[in-house]
Amino acid sequence: MSEILQQITTAVMQGKKDEIAQIAQQAIDEGSGAEDILYKGLMPGMDYVSVEFKAGRVFVPEVMRSARAMLNVMEVIKPLMVEKGISMVGKVLLGTVKGDLHDIGKNLVGMMCEGAGFEVRNLGINVEPEKFVEAVKEFEPDIVGMSALLTTTMRSMGDTVKALEEAGVRDRVQIMIGGAPVSQAFADKIGVAYAPDAAAAADKAKELIANSR
Amino acid sequence: MRANYRVNSGVRFEVLSKDQLQEMFDGVLHVMDKIGLDVHHDRAREILAGAGARVEGKRVQIPPHVVKRSLATAPRSFTIYARDGNPAHDIHIGPGRSHFGPGPTPPNFIDIETLERRPYVRDDARIVATVCDALPNIDFCESLGTISDVHTDLAASYEFATMFPKTSKPIVAWSYGWDDSNDIHQIAVAEAGGQEAFEKRPNYVHYCEPLSPLVSTFEAVDKVIFAAEHGVPVIFTTCALAGGTAPVTPAGIIIQTTAESFMGLVLSQTIRPGLPFFMGGVLSVMDMSAMILTYGAPELSLMMAGATELAHYCGIPLWQTGGCTDSKCLDEQASLEGSLSVFFSALSGGDLCHDVGYTESGMTGSILQTVMMDEAIGYSRRICRGIEVNEETLAVDVIQDVGPDGHYLYHDHTMRHFKTEFWYPNLCDRRNFEEWDADGQKPMRDRVVERTREIAATHEPSPVRPETEKAIAEIMEAAEERVKDKS
Repeated sequence: MSEILQQITTAVMQGKKDEIAQIAQQAIDEGSGAEDILYKGLMPGMDYVSVEFKAGRVFVPEVMRSARAMLNVMEVIKPLMVEKGISMVGKVLLGTVKGDLHDIGKNLVGMMCEGAGFEVRNLGINVEPEKFVEAVKEFEPDIVGMSALLTTTMRSMGDTVKALEEAGVRDRVQIMIGGAPVSQAFADKIGVAYAPDAAAAADKAKELIANSR
Repeated sequence: MRANYRVNSGVRFEVLSKDQLQEMFDGVLHVMDKIGLDVHHDRAREILAGAGARVEGKRVQIPPHVVKRSLATAPRSFTIYARDGNPAHDIHIGPGRSHFGPGPTPPNFIDIETLERRPYVRDDARIVATVCDALPNIDFCESLGTISDVHTDLAASYEFATMFPKTSKPIVAWSYGWDDSNDIHQIAVAEAGGQEAFEKRPNYVHYCEPLSPLVSTFEAVDKVIFAAEHGVPVIFTTCALAGGTAPVTPAGIIIQTTAESFMGLVLSQTIRPGLPFFMGGVLSVMDMSAMILTYGAPELSLMMAGATELAHYCGIPLWQTGGCTDSKCLDEQASLEGSLSVFFSALSGGDLCHDVGYTESGMTGSILQTVMMDEAIGYSRRICRGIEVNEETLAVDVIQDVGPDGHYLYHDHTMRHFKTEFWYPNLCDRRNFEEWDADGQKPMRDRVVERTREIAATHEPSPVRPETEKAIAEIMEAAEERVKDKS
């Protein structure tokens, strides 16, 4: 059994997104549980990729493949997880704030968070504060991540925080922000967390989850 | 197929037109034929006279047809081989290929531990060779100094004996004269497996330096004769100062140094037609206030590019210069002067670019500068590779796949090319502020020092054969015996 989990780990490391679902199905057929597949198969692979990425030996397109490989397995094991009541590391809701159409940085954050074992919902770009509020109520995330590339759209982050407060859901979530003009000082001002890049964002998300439990 | 479709491989760069080059070549022929050069070597004058030169006293005048005959026999393309057979360390000389390495003989060295300037010692040769062996963009090795802690006459012999086992990249050897040239050659031959094997796969190049203006010294010529008789690829290069020992104008200094270099060409090709020969030299300006030969001047890069084009016009490779500086330490000046000259040298396609690691106008060798320049060479090489244009690289289908509002990170096309299309730095920091801050806010120079120390402490070059180890010990013992009564 551990051999097949090892195969899953290797497939994640190598970003074998197309072959991995079949390996996972085989693992299930041979009696592996969803929890083992997630924590003994997928996560060690992603942890390895994360360490190599930080060391500069693995690059973004390769991390994306590994993350996609992991997601493809999640599709397979999700019904089992729901059945057994096993949860993911946490849920992250992401969006680029109102007035801002910049996409790729936030998508990188999403990918890194998925790689770290989070369930991610990506609201896209130009997301109105009300959209964030609705999604928080419906998706029930642990973390809301907001992105902006322009100094002019940064203020929408404050507006969104205010909207969450007014809707009475601010205390249900932790909020983190990022983007080129965003700084720790600005994050402190609006009372949220900050990460300087996508890899740091995934670490920050894990840290926020750990502190809240 | 396509007709009349022109492809540029790499970046195009050109200083001189064909007409200008022919005019300069005619100038070189005129200098050699009508003015002539002084050759301080009886036997060399005899050999040159036999080849068709007119000799009067020390003055040797060489007619154009003799020069052209030598150019016809000297090869444009050839290989200098790695001593251990590692093909990645072979140097293929030929059109469009630039190679880089340090330079010879500064009296001082920047100690990589104390970072202070002090006389060059034997162990520095080991450090330089080890670091050059590891650097991805350094192709050949020179010592960056003259060893001060051995018998004066044996500085070059010890230099080669120390470097040879520590790098399998070809060494450009420097020596005083016949005896130490022979020590060096015996070491190289021992590893090659005999003289015949060496001639098939030469594993080092010999460096000879005559004087400007227009003087072939006894030692420089003697070394050319040694190299030619033993089949050693040879460099004959002057180090001229525009405004001091050469005309103040770039065209004038190029003509004079080419004529100086061609004396070695004719001599070497007469003794051994077909011997690989590199035209020199170091062309720079005499700074008219500091009175130095400047190694950081823009004119150096410009004149070297012109000399490169003339050498290639004549069908022979050039001994280029770059990666050097007048700065006394690893600072912004060293980075600016070194990087720009490296880039210019890479653009010009000069065949062996030396002096990567010269600081203080050639007075101090610094392997730290070499390590910093390794990065600049990698950077320059990426630019020089140019833009490839074909269906795969045009990527119109990929643009269609992704469409508006998508991204390319996940596309197979990105995966196929991101490692080869992009250059990745070893020293330039691209991390975010927070990571750089957490890592101690290290400036470039600190990262250079760290990388240098790490390579020097950990890199293990491929060893020479055990027989060669033994031969080196015997050769150096005999050399010590030879000089023991000399002060």
